[in-house]
Amino acid sequence: MQFDDKVPIYYQIKEYIYRQIITGKLAPGDKMPSVRQLAVDLTVNVNTIQRALSELTAENLIEPKRGKGNFVTATDQQISELKEQLINEHLQQLYKNLRELNVSDEEILNDLGRYIDKQRDDQK
Amino acid sequence: MTNAIEISNLSYRKNMRAILASINLSIGAGKIVGLLGENGAGKTTLMRLIAGVGKGYFGQIAIDGETGIAEKKAVVSFSEPLTGFPRNMRIDRIVSFFEDVYPDFSDKRYNELAGFLQIDEGLKLSQLSKGMREKLIIGLTLSRDAKVYLLDEPFSGIDSMSRKKIINSMIRWKPETATILVSDHYVSEIASILDEVVIIKDQTVFDQKSTEEIREKFGQSIEDYYEKAYEGRDSND
Repeated sequence: MQFDDKVPIYYQIKEYIYRQIITGKLAPGDKMPSVRQLAVDLTVNVNTIQRALSELTAENLIEPKRGKGNFVTATDQQISELKEQLINEHLQQLYKNLRELNVSDEEILNDLGRYIDKQRDDQK
Repeated sequence: MTNAIEISNLSYRKNMRAILASINLSIGAGKIVGLLGENGAGKTTLMRLIAGVGKGYFGQIAIDGETGIAEKKAVVSFSEPLTGFPRNMRIDRIVSFFEDVYPDFSDKRYNELAGFLQIDEGLKLSQLSKGMREKLIIGLTLSRDAKVYLLDEPFSGIDSMSRKKIINSMIRWKPETATILVSDHYVSEIASILDEVVIIKDQTVFDQKSTEEIREKFGQSIEDYYEKAYEGRDSND
């Protein structure tokens, strides 16, 4: 995984795990990879992984079980909230970028509709 | 908890010239710390003094609370450049030498590391590429069960695959409470695995900061922060 070196790494690890939970790659009840394994997979420091995991624990998305590792405990409601939050962030960015190009709200809606139609056609 | 490395008022001169002056440095246990500085800033000298192979300094260096030379050498694993070995010596002979000399050298760890780093023990020292040689050095250094590992510029002039393997073995094989001090003059390739950076400039410790603090507080990449430390000075020297 490529990190943005201007943004705290623990924060980017949290975002990475959020995405895994939202997309179901990590489902409720699943055991998380070990701290050392995550560090190797993401090429980061073990201490940074630990910080990210302890924040996720505080957010009740995962739970450490003594001697067994970390388990995903996110509820369906938490997952849909996470997803909504992520969708909002993307929309906010898209909207901001287009408004900066002086594209009106109506044009944005039209352009987006056209874009989606074209994507569908391309897939046929 | 005892600091892994505790240096107070360290000064070192060579041929009447100050190489290091008034160095004070504390490094906690369990961390991976980048030692940064331009070529010739004194990084290697500092590592040699910490490792106990350099002598004739003023001040105090304690490793895991120990100040005696023999006690320190027993808990520090320094990346030997292997220049003391004959060029036609086979790798397996060098490995046996390390086994004999260091009581904490673990065959099991070495075999794991050698497998991962793809070290061919049938080769002679002179047959190794730069990347192979660095991987061997790292393999040997991390095979000891030490409190402090000193890795002196393990990434200079090697290919990116070897670099990735070396970085991965640091994460995989560092004992939880052990500390790694790794020097480099180009930080971006290892920034993601560092807890802290120590910047050496003008013969002394110019700055010591947590990497996450640099990102969080200054919104800067570690490379930018490091370059700023050297900014505003004539680069012709």
